[in-house]
Amino acid sequence: MARYAMLIDLRKCVGCQACAVACDKEWDVPLGFARTHVQPTGVVGSFPKLASGFHVAHCNQCERPSCVAACPTGATHQSPDGIVRIDRGLCIGCGYCVEACPYDARYINPVINQADKCDFCAARLQRGLQPACVATCTAHAKYFGDLEDSNGEVFRMVYERGARRLQTAQVAVGPNVYYLGKKQDVDLVFAKFPPRAPRMAASSEFWSRLLKPLVLAAVGATFLGQAVAFFYQLATGEPDHESQEKT
Amino acid sequence: MAAPTIAQTPRPLTAAETDALSQRQVKKHDVAIMLLHWFNAIVWLVELATGPALLTSSFRVAPWWYIQIVQGFFHSRANMLQFHIAVGITWIVVFVVYGTFGFRTYLKKEVLQREISLDGNDIQWLKIRILRLLGRSTEPLPPQGIYNAGQKLLALMVYAMVPVVMITGLIMTFHLIGTAAVGWAAAIHFAAVGAVVCGLIIHVYMGAVFPEEKPAFFSMITGTVNELYAYTNHFKWWKEVSRVRVEILHEFGPEGAATVSPGAPQKQGKPAEREKHQ
Repeated sequence: MARYAMLIDLRKCVGCQACAVACDKEWDVPLGFARTHVQPTGVVGSFPKLASGFHVAHCNQCERPSCVAACPTGATHQSPDGIVRIDRGLCIGCGYCVEACPYDARYINPVINQADKCDFCAARLQRGLQPACVATCTAHAKYFGDLEDSNGEVFRMVYERGARRLQTAQVAVGPNVYYLGKKQDVDLVFAKFPPRAPRMAASSEFWSRLLKPLVLAAVGATFLGQAVAFFYQLATGEPDHESQEKT
Repeated sequence: MAAPTIAQTPRPLTAAETDALSQRQVKKHDVAIMLLHWFNAIVWLVELATGPALLTSSFRVAPWWYIQIVQGFFHSRANMLQFHIAVGITWIVVFVVYGTFGFRTYLKKEVLQREISLDGNDIQWLKIRILRLLGRSTEPLPPQGIYNAGQKLLALMVYAMVPVVMITGLIMTFHLIGTAAVGWAAAIHFAAVGAVVCGLIIHVYMGAVFPEEKPAFFSMITGTVNELYAYTNHFKWWKEVSRVRVEILHEFGPEGAATVSPGAPQKQGKPAEREKHQ
């Protein structure tokens, strides 16, 4: 089974946003939202030790996705190829996953009222195409492939050339997007755009931590009470109600 | 001449009185109410079968094997959700129709009062009923109206929670108000359903399993209960029924009394007037 990953070569990325435009076009992303976008770090340091880079932000298809754990209906799920997908028939647009994503890679699409995010253009993959952003990248800075394929370009760049992924000790969710480049440039991108701790929406926390145990306890106690009454009824036998009333 | 008076509390009956009462049926429910009750029962059954199977991750309440069975029945979780929504919307539409056309008959103050208003007798009834269920008391239950305190409590809770279940369901289905509202609606939907389920467990046990309430269960099929049950379990209501019968018997004789519909004593009139309405 494939294990898909994407790699961004920061030495080539020129921040042209062609990938973001291609993605918007491919997926009809509403104005003001994005499945992918490019954020510049700006130039830091002093000449000649300057550093700069671009953070190409989209869903990282994490190995341990916090969005999947946050979804109450199972709409957000991880397929065996590692891609985190959203089942359009199941998403209720509660926004729990949007809060949970440490990379803020999700949004609620106001047209369909459901969560939306990059899925490595899964529909294009099925047709044997590359993701739209990879196919469009003017500098050929984006690579897409299978980490299980030892002959693949992505495999070699990740395992032989030391590409790194954007995660911290606190947020170690196993992102499947890798960055390659000069150490100071990659360090700069990682320092400027670190993942945040996954959050729970207030309603989600209230539900799973308070309401769920309360409701289960109440239903369980009621059921138990009725079970006791039922067994008492069995033990004592069912009286002939009408003959009792005659007395 | 004044009509004969009726006793204020139930007394032990003679065998002849018991026979006479057990052979007479009094009307308790209209056909519309019986239909609505069983429609409601079916809706709750299928919604409670599918609802818990829709919840996963930290919100999961049903065991995995159960989720797999229900999911398999619908082929996919998405179909299951669509079914849950379709049944829920049908339920809301039926209740809106019922509320619109039955408002004057079933939702007026007097009707609601006898269905949900608890008095001192009711509180006492609840205490004794629980002690009797646990085998801790043999004290007779205080006289009750057409609905006993337990039924009133269930009705109160259902009247409070059903609109919450409906509104939160609509918010989730049509993504009303906004994303945060949908998040809260999902949590509140779950809690309101949980509260109703607690009531339903007691309701189903008392209605379908508990021997003393058998006539109440069958009244939801036939619309009537025998007068003996009304006398022993709903004495205050039986008094109303009897008062009407005694008055009509006194005024028009046995033929008039035979046509009394105790469920709606306020509609009674002279036999000739009733025939005109028919």
